[in-house]
Amino acid sequence: MGANVVAVAEHREGKIAGVTYELVAKGRELAAKTGGAVQVALLGKGVSGLAGEVASRGVEVLLAEHDALAAYTAGGYAQALAAMLRSPPKILLAGHTSQGFDLAPRLAAEWTAPIVANCVDLAMEDGTLIASRKILNDKMAVELAVTSERPYIATLRPGSVKPVGPAGAPGKVTPVSVLIDPAKNGRTFHGYERPEVQDIDIAAADVVVSAGRGIQKKENLPVIEGLAKALGGVVGASRPLTDMDWLPKTRQVGQSGKTVRPKLYIACGISGAMQHIAGMKDAGLIIAINTDPSAPIFEVAHYGVVANVLEFVPALVKELKSG
Amino acid sequence: MPLDVVVCLKQVPNPDLQFQVAADGKDIRRDALNYKTNGADEYALEEAVRLKEKFGGKVTALTAGPKRAEQMLREAMAKGADAAVRLAFDDPAAVDDYQVANMIAAAIAKRPHDLVLTGVQSDDYGYSATGPLVAGFLKIPHASVVTRVEVSEKGLKVWRELEGGDQEVVSLARPALLTIQFGINQPRYAPLPAIMKASRQPIEEVKPTDLGQSTWDGFRGPYTLAVRKVSPPAAKGHAEMIPGNVADQAKAVAQLLREKGFVRG
Ligand SMILES: Cc1cc2nc3c(=O)[nH]c(=O)nc-3n(C[C@H](O)[C@H](O)[C@H](O)COP(=O)(O)OP(=O)(O)OC[C@H]3O[C@@H](n4cnc5c(N)ncnc54)[C@H](O)[C@@H]3O)c2cc1C
Ligand SMILES: Nc1ncnc2c1ncn2[C@@H]1O[C@H](COP(=O)(O)O)[C@@H](O)[C@H]1O
Repeated sequence: MGANVVAVAEHREGKIAGVTYELVAKGRELAAKTGGAVQVALLGKGVSGLAGEVASRGVEVLLAEHDALAAYTAGGYAQALAAMLRSPPKILLAGHTSQGFDLAPRLAAEWTAPIVANCVDLAMEDGTLIASRKILNDKMAVELAVTSERPYIATLRPGSVKPVGPAGAPGKVTPVSVLIDPAKNGRTFHGYERPEVQDIDIAAADVVVSAGRGIQKKENLPVIEGLAKALGGVVGASRPLTDMDWLPKTRQVGQSGKTVRPKLYIACGISGAMQHIAGMKDAGLIIAINTDPSAPIFEVAHYGVVANVLEFVPALVKELKSG
Repeated sequence: MPLDVVVCLKQVPNPDLQFQVAADGKDIRRDALNYKTNGADEYALEEAVRLKEKFGGKVTALTAGPKRAEQMLREAMAKGADAAVRLAFDDPAAVDDYQVANMIAAAIAKRPHDLVLTGVQSDDYGYSATGPLVAGFLKIPHASVVTRVEVSEKGLKVWRELEGGDQEVVSLARPALLTIQFGINQPRYAPLPAIMKASRQPIEEVKPTDLGQSTWDGFRGPYTLAVRKVSPPAAKGHAEMIPGNVADQAKAVAQLLREKGFVRG
């Protein structure tokens, strides 16, 4: 096993996902401890331009191009990585994303290697990997210590570390040829789908008042709408509400919904799961209302109110109107 | 084309509660927790039952967990699972998902499985790793974050959710494993007679010796993994909390919104 740290690049339709540069940043830090270098494995078809873009951040890129890699599939990537990393790396990093957590655990099973998923931080101490994770809806922090002669496989939660920026001297791009047996892939990619629904664009609003499961039932939505109206804003939602069709999918804030950066974001009965936070953490002013003082939403909010939303919001609307 | 579907369910502490660190600092305190079926697994179970209703076949609900998890398996049978299997793995924390996936894969390998379903993530640990690990051990194709399933003669066509609300459409050969995303369906409630019936149905118990190992440790990977510390998260930042009763809080927030210029008039 080598000493290198390999980060699996993520890209879709000609664009590098930002998490790739976060992996490089963390990978560089870890490589300084393993005595190796950080390398990015970029897999695709007709992606030499992207390879140059990644290399411009001052990191070596291992570039594998193959027809079977034109779109991501777990089987295609697993075969390519096994072929291109003949000497397995000390650590393999992927984002904790729809791609990363589809791929990394599968590699762990195929390589009989340990996996630590959804980490918010990683460190090496004397050959032992220390993984920091959050559990129970981010209400508790855990440190795991893993010691292995096999490669460490880890997924890093997006937004956990500062990405590397452009570098003075670009890294080199090393093309590697890979053999892939499409018959062994087991999965075929057909295409992307992007649902187009006509609705308001919550990403364009200055004020977003979002409802979460804490509003209890659909009949309570007018309470939230009342506050949005009083502030000239729009109603957003956490995912469970759009899953239950209380609101259209276009209103969903978060990783698998919209990213919003309004001047004011009010979270009503939203716990603050990482996938929700990913879509609203950069709002100018965040106010959260929740009955649970330990709810993680209070970590990103500027102001917090521990109260029943169904009592607090009507009281607030009354105050705003009487002012 | 009847389908043998195995659906993996995990019993998790209700995440709406507050948690405390155990005396040894290596786990949460588990003496006063209440447990429930993992959120995403409710959707996986419902999808399994709907596929059976459409194509015929059998749904087996499977868990690796302590005796208390039998309650969850009975609920699963009341909601339409035909059989239930519990791997008698008594470690209440079960932090090593490689080990858990490895034993689950070994148990699934011994029974018919055209399709294996798991949830997209557990509400307690959030690894999103168990499904693809199980698929890797079983050497069957898989797809994560599935929001729609279509069954064809030999395979499956599924929609995977990506970031930003986009989907990708992929097809897989059977047998295959899918990790099911929230919202794929609307899970049903169990009718009372079914609950009564499920309370009398048998639950198959699997021990490590049934799977060729003397203990569950035999399913660990070639590495050591240990919890070093469990602690309340070091808050990077924390909201300024608005004190008082609801009336006071409403007044204070209204004033704040006025000061910041969000209230016209
Ligand atoms: C791959 C993936 C992608 C995802 N993408 C997204 C996404 O884009 N957006 C998203 O939002 N989620 C997403 N999720 C789901 C996410 O993990 C959470 O399940 C979800 O955000 C929880 O929504 P919630 O906070 O409304 O509900 P819960 O987590 O159930 O929280 C409800 C909160 O309301 C509080 N509460 C209860 N009653 C009251 C009351 N009367 N007054 C005040 N507070 C009350 C509770 O204390 C609790 O904190 C995704 C999950 C996965 C696995
Ligand atoms: N102990 C277990 N028994 C059965 N299924 C499990 C267990 N742990 C995890 N799973 C399944 O794996 C999914 C993902 O869990 P995780 O990898 O912990 O995020 C869950 O939604 C369950 O379907």
